[in-house]
Amino acid sequence: MARPALRQTFLSPLIRENPITLQILGICSALAVTTSLDTALTMSVSLTVVLVLSAAIISMIRRHIPVSIRLILQILIVASLVIVIDQVLQAYFFGISQRLSVFVSLITTNCLVLGRTESFARSNPVIPSVVDAAGNGLGYSLILIVIGTIREVLGKGTLMGQPVLRSVEDGGWFVPLNLMLLAPSAFFLLGLLVWAIRSALPEQVEPPAHTPPRRREAGE
Amino acid sequence: MTRGMWSRETVALFLVIAMLPLAVVWLTGAGWDGAIRLLAALAITYGWQLAFLLLRAQPPSLAGVVTAFAIAVLAPTGLGAFAFVLGVSFGVVIGELAFGGWGRNILHPATVAIAFLGFGYPAAPWPELSILITWGACGTLALAVAFGLYAIRLVAGTAIALSLAALVGLPVTDPFTAPAILASFALLVCDPVTSANTQTGRWMQGLFYGALIALFLAVWDGAATTQLALSAALLANLAAPLLDEIALLLWQATRRNRHG
Repeated sequence: MARPALRQTFLSPLIRENPITLQILGICSALAVTTSLDTALTMSVSLTVVLVLSAAIISMIRRHIPVSIRLILQILIVASLVIVIDQVLQAYFFGISQRLSVFVSLITTNCLVLGRTESFARSNPVIPSVVDAAGNGLGYSLILIVIGTIREVLGKGTLMGQPVLRSVEDGGWFVPLNLMLLAPSAFFLLGLLVWAIRSALPEQVEPPAHTPPRRREAGE
Repeated sequence: MTRGMWSRETVALFLVIAMLPLAVVWLTGAGWDGAIRLLAALAITYGWQLAFLLLRAQPPSLAGVVTAFAIAVLAPTGLGAFAFVLGVSFGVVIGELAFGGWGRNILHPATVAIAFLGFGYPAAPWPELSILITWGACGTLALAVAFGLYAIRLVAGTAIALSLAALVGLPVTDPFTAPAILASFALLVCDPVTSANTQTGRWMQGLFYGALIALFLAVWDGAATTQLALSAALLANLAAPLLDEIALLLWQATRRNRHG
């Protein structure tokens, strides 16, 4: 079977086959950590690192993994890597690690990581696996950064903690939109993003589940 | 009414006519300030309708007038222009136009917009409605029921629930609560598109709205009356499809019992 070019493997998960907007994978963490850009960035980097390393390790030992216990092995490898990342964050970025709370440890159960190791790294050589993992990690990061930026700017008027919109208290015009700091806003933004991407790439639109009855409407 | 005259736009036209009593009473009270809010909401609503007409060939609807009017009456005041534009756009686009225009939406766009502004800017003051609004809302309800746009069962269900609440001693008829309850009922809950569409479902939705109002009056301390009424309207609106589903299941169960 001819493998697609590495370039293709890397570029397609960025937007066209983005794990969040097309496969709707890993959205729990995407919704939880995007209230500000710095937590979103930290989470993106952590997930990308875990994804790339686990893809590399699993792809290296792919011929030695018994099929019946492959999921246990994959989770074991991912969990070990997550613990390492978590310790690094706690050691060097304690504040952000506190704000991310449980979500770094939950990378273990992130559907995105298991999805890529199970569907790609398990049956491909090391180089394509790493490239695919990096592409998916960056696609995830892209969405997190977009949503995190919008939520922080509209919700607090800041970006990475630096004020960008002058709020009313400082004599500006901007009133922080409290809704952006609550979970529903992430759903709205993700929905709008999916809408935008599917308007640009109509082949992603799912076929309608029902066809409405044909009716005459005003003006016909 | 002559059969065959009802299209989406005649429904919208009669809905706008039914709003007139409430609009006159409200405008005399709110004055130029209110008129400017109404015009701004109208401009934003029809701006988006025009955009959807040009981009997705969705015919605009007169019902946008009702949406803009409801937002002008009930939305929190004292917001900046940016917040107002954002909230109204959110309600109109996500609440209605994204579903394919008026008649296909699940939630009332004005409810969505007001809830967005209310939850998004918790510090913004809610409007105080004068007691005269009560009479305007009653006129609107009477007209709309007479035209056959609003369901009499929905109105009756709410009337029963609110009367019971008043008997228990909750301040339903208080001059500060009554206008908010009736205005959000006449403007948002009864909307023919998004209210319940089965006969039993209408009874249940009316009772549900009244019960929510009673519950909020009893336990929700420190809420503005408009906020309280809007929250009840939003929940009643969200429950409408579920209540319809329950009504259909009940009907199927009775059929099965009767005919085997």
